[in-house]
Amino acid sequence: MSMAGKRRADPAIPRSLAFRRDREHVWAELDELVEKVLRGGLHVLDSEQLRRLPMLYRATVSSLAVARKTALDKALVAYLEALAARAYLAMYGSRKATRGSFRRALMVSFPQNVRAMSKEVGVAFLITLLGMVVAAGLMQSDIGWYDAFVAPELAGGRDPQASTESLRDALYGGGEEALSLFATYLFTHNAGIGLMAFALGFAAGIPTALLLFTNGLMLGAFLSLYASRGLLVPLVGWLLPHGIPEIGAIVLCGAAGLHLGRAMLMPGQYTLREAIRRAGQRASMVVFGCIVLFAIAGVVEGIFRQVILDDRIRFGLAAFNALWFFGWLLLGGRPKRLRRERRLKAKK
Amino acid sequence: MSFLSEPDERQFLEVIGPEGVPLTFPAAGISERAFAFMIDLLVITIAFIIILLGSVYLIGMTGMMEPAMLIMVGLFGLRYGYFAGFEIYWQGSTPGKRLMNLKVISRDGTGLTTEAIIARNLMRDVELFLPMIAILSPSSLFGDTAWWLTAPLVLWLIAMMLLPFYAKERTRVGDLVGGTVVVRVPRVELIADEAAGVGAGELGFSPSQLGHYGESELETLARLLRDAEAGHATVADLSVVASTIAGKIGYGGSLADPETFLRGFYAAQRSALEKRLLFGRRKATKHER
Repeated sequence: MSMAGKRRADPAIPRSLAFRRDREHVWAELDELVEKVLRGGLHVLDSEQLRRLPMLYRATVSSLAVARKTALDKALVAYLEALAARAYLAMYGSRKATRGSFRRALMVSFPQNVRAMSKEVGVAFLITLLGMVVAAGLMQSDIGWYDAFVAPELAGGRDPQASTESLRDALYGGGEEALSLFATYLFTHNAGIGLMAFALGFAAGIPTALLLFTNGLMLGAFLSLYASRGLLVPLVGWLLPHGIPEIGAIVLCGAAGLHLGRAMLMPGQYTLREAIRRAGQRASMVVFGCIVLFAIAGVVEGIFRQVILDDRIRFGLAAFNALWFFGWLLLGGRPKRLRRERRLKAKK
Repeated sequence: MSFLSEPDERQFLEVIGPEGVPLTFPAAGISERAFAFMIDLLVITIAFIIILLGSVYLIGMTGMMEPAMLIMVGLFGLRYGYFAGFEIYWQGSTPGKRLMNLKVISRDGTGLTTEAIIARNLMRDVELFLPMIAILSPSSLFGDTAWWLTAPLVLWLIAMMLLPFYAKERTRVGDLVGGTVVVRVPRVELIADEAAGVGAGELGFSPSQLGHYGESELETLARLLRDAEAGHATVADLSVVASTIAGKIGYGGSLADPETFLRGFYAAQRSALEKRLLFGRRKATKHER
């Protein structure tokens, strides 16, 4: 202490030099810890080092703030700038996934964000519905429209030229192929379409709307083809068990894309950048949940649909799927809010 | 390729950390990020080849088609999970970014969230893979849709892909959506202070002698002393500067050892300017009073 006092009294010794001498050991210690963390992550530190890291970091950040204002040694300031920035990366670089964060993302964040974009979900659903109605209406006048809506490789022989018998067989034919393989194919294929519907939202949502519309056209074409042969009820029984999570997920991904597009066209009270960021994070949580939905749909479609051939069980499964699907989206993540509101009321 | 080397327009960005002190980061350049991406693509390709060979081997072993599942799940996982997974568990870097010394941080200075990482990596699909498919084989993407319908979309995709070339901070679409930015991990060595080890005021400058120069001249002098230490400046150089300074401030002492004089003057001048600074009086150059 007396040494430092003597140094400061000497007019030929810059204050920043004394400042550096007093604190250099703190910076060196932080430097060493930060390099360790950047190389191997926070868990390479022992408990004593973990305790010291934030203290050293704050001391260094305050050194930086002081040095910027009072030190004329540019090399010193540059060193502190870089050290503080690196320490920030080590400490706040990423919030590690904590226990339960996956569950929270699915059970709380996903349904909440879906409800937060309920308008877009409605629009996405209406676009799909419009596609279905247009396809059905056109096929009423000319069944040949079917080929325009359904790609031949997707139809797989289920077209207007097929006999009613073969159309029926397609619904009840238990596949001989490897079922788990089929389920996986369906999952990755559909999830890819869903992710694209979301990401294309960045083009002001227009391609997303088109994608939803063509998806609706295809659905409508299928339905009206089977309806024209009096097979509507079996088709719905075949479609609904996997269709609820799958079509639901496509609509939700589309809604996420529309949400993003809407933020670009109408940023509202935020700057464009901020509006896109907010919408993007909300939408990406919805898409994340949809990937799980696609996986469930893939399993139902690839395995159950091939194994369960009885209409009544199929409709039962559809009802069951509808129950958890809508329960999840409409009720998930709500109790917490109710509890908070109750607490607020109690305070008043 | 001149736009890829960007020595002068190196951009810095300011992030206000939770402590309220703004920190500065050098924004990562396009070429660095492109290199990092190529390294990651290489890792992905190698991983996929391993998965492919493994499943083919398993199919041959068991005689069943089930292991083909691995190929599909692997491709899906690598396409959508590789970048996000690494950035979540490796604190905002992937193998490529780590080799290139880059990191993803959140633009607003709060910690990087999992949501932000997922968002920025979901966009990678549409801004990188989709334009590539659109350019290389448009028919696989659009079927036989009329060209006047697909052309605007292709142009838009290309405009998005090239966003880092004209956006500030070199943001790509994913960074925009995730609210993130890619920075270079800054490393600066702490070099010796040129004022250290100087005899305590033995040259005895008067306050009026220290009133001539400003911060910019001080920094130039520090650089000269550093050069002399590294052997880039000769005694003759030092001697010229020493006599110029001595003449300007009216110093009457000996200049036989110009380095000692310059060091002593540097320490005294910095000390005097820093004292002024404490009272909020900055003197940036010798032209200010």
